[in-house]
Amino acid sequence: MTRLSKRSKRLRPSGEHRLSRLINIGLPYLWLGLFFLLPFAIVLRISLAEPLLAQPPYTALWEWAEQGILQIRLNLGNFQLIREDDIYLAALLNSLWVALVGTLGCLLLGYPMAYAIATAPERRRILLLMLIILPFWTSFLIRVYAWIGILNANGLLNNFLLWLGVIDTPLKILHTQTAVYIGVIYSYLPFMILPLYANLTRLDPTLLEAAADLGCRPWRAFTRVTLPLSLPGIVAGSMLVFIPVVGEFVIPDLLGSPGSLMIGKLMWTEFFANKDWPLASALAIVLLAVLVVPFVLMQRLQQDDEDGRT
Amino acid sequence: MDTLEVQPLNESRRLVPSPSDRRPLEPWQDPKAAPYVRIERVTKQFGDVYAVDDVSLNIFQGEFFSLLGSSGCGKSTLLRLLAGLEYPTSGRIYIDGVDVTDVPPYSRPVNMMFQSYALFPHMTVEQNIEFGLKQDRLPRRERAERVGEMLDLLRITELRKRRPDQLSGGQRQRVALARSLAKHPKLLLLDEPLGALDKRLRENTQFELVNLQERLGITFVTVTHDQEEAMTMSSRIAVMDAGQIMQVDTPTAIYEFPNGRFVAEFIGSVNLFEGKIVEIQGDDVLIEAQFGGLMQMRSLQPHPIGTPVVVAIRPEKLRLCQTPSDDGVNRLQGVVEDIAYLGDVSIYRIRTGGGTLVEMTLTNIQPRTEQALTWEQEVWVEWSPTSGVVLTE
Amino acid sequence: MRRRSWPLLSVLAFGYAFLYVPILLLILYSFNESRLVTVWSGFSFKWYGELLHNRQLLDAAWLSVRIAALNATIAVVLGTLAANALVRHGRFRGRTGLELLLTAPLVMPDVIIGLSMLLLFVALQQTIGWPDGRGFSTITIAHITFSMAYVAVVVRSRLARMDSSLEEAAMDLGARPLTVYLRITLPLIAPALLSGWLLAFTLSLDDLVIASFVSGPGATTLPMVIYSSVRMGVSPQINALASLVVALVALAVVIAGVSLRRR
Repeated sequence: MTRLSKRSKRLRPSGEHRLSRLINIGLPYLWLGLFFLLPFAIVLRISLAEPLLAQPPYTALWEWAEQGILQIRLNLGNFQLIREDDIYLAALLNSLWVALVGTLGCLLLGYPMAYAIATAPERRRILLLMLIILPFWTSFLIRVYAWIGILNANGLLNNFLLWLGVIDTPLKILHTQTAVYIGVIYSYLPFMILPLYANLTRLDPTLLEAAADLGCRPWRAFTRVTLPLSLPGIVAGSMLVFIPVVGEFVIPDLLGSPGSLMIGKLMWTEFFANKDWPLASALAIVLLAVLVVPFVLMQRLQQDDEDGRT
Repeated sequence: MDTLEVQPLNESRRLVPSPSDRRPLEPWQDPKAAPYVRIERVTKQFGDVYAVDDVSLNIFQGEFFSLLGSSGCGKSTLLRLLAGLEYPTSGRIYIDGVDVTDVPPYSRPVNMMFQSYALFPHMTVEQNIEFGLKQDRLPRRERAERVGEMLDLLRITELRKRRPDQLSGGQRQRVALARSLAKHPKLLLLDEPLGALDKRLRENTQFELVNLQERLGITFVTVTHDQEEAMTMSSRIAVMDAGQIMQVDTPTAIYEFPNGRFVAEFIGSVNLFEGKIVEIQGDDVLIEAQFGGLMQMRSLQPHPIGTPVVVAIRPEKLRLCQTPSDDGVNRLQGVVEDIAYLGDVSIYRIRTGGGTLVEMTLTNIQPRTEQALTWEQEVWVEWSPTSGVVLTE
Repeated sequence: MRRRSWPLLSVLAFGYAFLYVPILLLILYSFNESRLVTVWSGFSFKWYGELLHNRQLLDAAWLSVRIAALNATIAVVLGTLAANALVRHGRFRGRTGLELLLTAPLVMPDVIIGLSMLLLFVALQQTIGWPDGRGFSTITIAHITFSMAYVAVVVRSRLARMDSSLEEAAMDLGARPLTVYLRITLPLIAPALLSGWLLAFTLSLDDLVIASFVSGPGATTLPMVIYSSVRMGVSPQINALASLVVALVALAVVIAGVSLRRR
């Protein structure tokens, strides 16, 4: 009735209330500050160091010289290297490209699926949704691995196509860019469908009825009403796919060609194979800088959504 | 419409004994009576919005008090302030002489029935009722006794093992009431107690609620937007608008003698004729009406000549004549423009010569086989000086 | 407007086939006698037998399960606290910061989280001597950090949908805030806590990249073992393992479904 949406604090800051605030806000903040925020500062620091054959394998940024003078040594060499060596830029562009193709693929397949699920009868909706989430509960690694057996030169897909007579010689799909696209779309499809579904079910079906009543044909009603209104879901789903895929390691490593690198895999190599921690850190900083824009976009959108709901 | 006065009954099973067996019928008329709830200049702000704006109010023991207003008028906030679910921006609240302004809800001798009923979905009916008693750490036996008493009182004993989602709307309302009464509060707050019930059930429940309140002698404060409900149940009504109390009075007084245009228009239908006092004749005043002509009305307060006033007359207090009668003091000629047949009554809209639209109701005494009055018929609308009230804006 | 159209339904069918055919093929070939995927040489439980004698893999699985369980438990506590803060404490200072910190782990690439966590642990070891060596505890901490964000999302939406007048009613009936939380709020959000726990458990059990960064010698998780064996190509033992995982998940879903229906 007269309940105002803007509630005042329910309790005067009593001792009990203050304690609950402290615990509820303080503990998560402390944890995330220590284990999520602080590490980034360290990454930044080490990206400015030089590699060293030691434990840990990087130079200290500052040391106390003998007279008690603080010496700070900043080394921008890593970033310079990244800028000058084409392999890094190529890997970064390739990562963005793969993420873009993967996102579009997920959208093209995921939107109709989400729409079909959202418009399915109530009873069946839960089952259909469960079936989308279910693969997520099985191992990601194993699901990517499953495609090796399918896409192999003598794998199931090739055998199937040969049997159909569509092709004469086996196609090389595994260890190509195409395999990476397939792997990305396969692995990230649920992340696209879920926010889209959530958005589409919130859509008032009477809007479409009104559009139809006003003489709008179904397809037009879809492009004029449903599609614009589901834009937030599209952006949310796209960001949930795009951002992690840019830094993806497992899929390009298992399915991709050794020749075309992605930045996540490059970081892994620099770190584990070349033991160049500072360079790996510098790559991480570059990747972070690239991802800030889509991340802010997503965060903004979420905020709007949150505000809109209350 | 009758007021349901609070009368202490000699009930052996009264839960809260009243201090005296004979309380004055209208304690608010008694200057010596101490109010049970005293709200003193309370303001509640949400950001820039004044939900409750400098409200002072006294509520007496045993009253069935209603806060009436449209949505957003601040009535629910005022109730939540009494419950302790909100704290006032300024002002004090006293219950039974104790300043409870800063007392948290769990320490107040007050219980509330929520509009949504707020029954705990993971507890049975019995457990819901017992919840408050457990918080008071009553011994198990006493709790069981009290729960049984409540189940009996509201005749829901057979529902005691059910969960809220297995109850109908009316049953939930009873459980919510039982739960809020279980702790024997001295003051019960009810937020739209009948709002979620359908019309028929609502009417029956109104009377039951009043009976219950009289039997238990607990002070009830309810919030409602339904004026009929407020009129039926309340000893007194506070009409609220924009965070302020416009009038506090008995249902009769609110209806018959509204203190201003807002209350007159808010409660029931009313015809308002604007004008200006031109002459004073004893208890009556002569008003020059904007529609042209003079009205003679009884004025309760003395107003000087020249005061702009509004005459408020309820539709059922007007007389409809086909020819002007001899004893009609005030009279308007017009034609019937609209007729709405409602069964028990019919509403007529008369367009007067001056263009004013007058609304009136007539009880359909005879079975309505033929039209006594019909559209475009010339009629006279008449009323006596005591049929309405003179309001200054 | 609920007419189903042909193209829409075929896309839906294709999508589900796309999602499930690889998994079904894995299961099918886990019963294949032959080591080769392409050749079906007969039904056999051979690979399951080998799997059950693979000491290294079983040890890794046990380690992963322990990490996942501890991770899920702590992540549920922290994630629920964070959800409380966001839903119940209104507009406190630093709210935006907390929201940011809870959203970032959801999308942050694993390689970045893994690297940064490792560098933190190394730095901590250098300065305060802890953690002394990497393994169980460092992997668990790293997993909690991103799992709690997922838990917070799940619990937050449940809390936000809860009718706040239930808590007010409890308080009105004399319950102090802590009692209200324990007796009313927690039981009502329990399903969300459970799904948050399961989600955190799965995320942890599934993680290869972060664990690879922050683990040390001697602490090899299940995904790390799987990874090293699938890098070599198709391995029928992994097929068998995958089938077991799928069977377990399916069983859990059926149990959950039945118990939900019963309530």
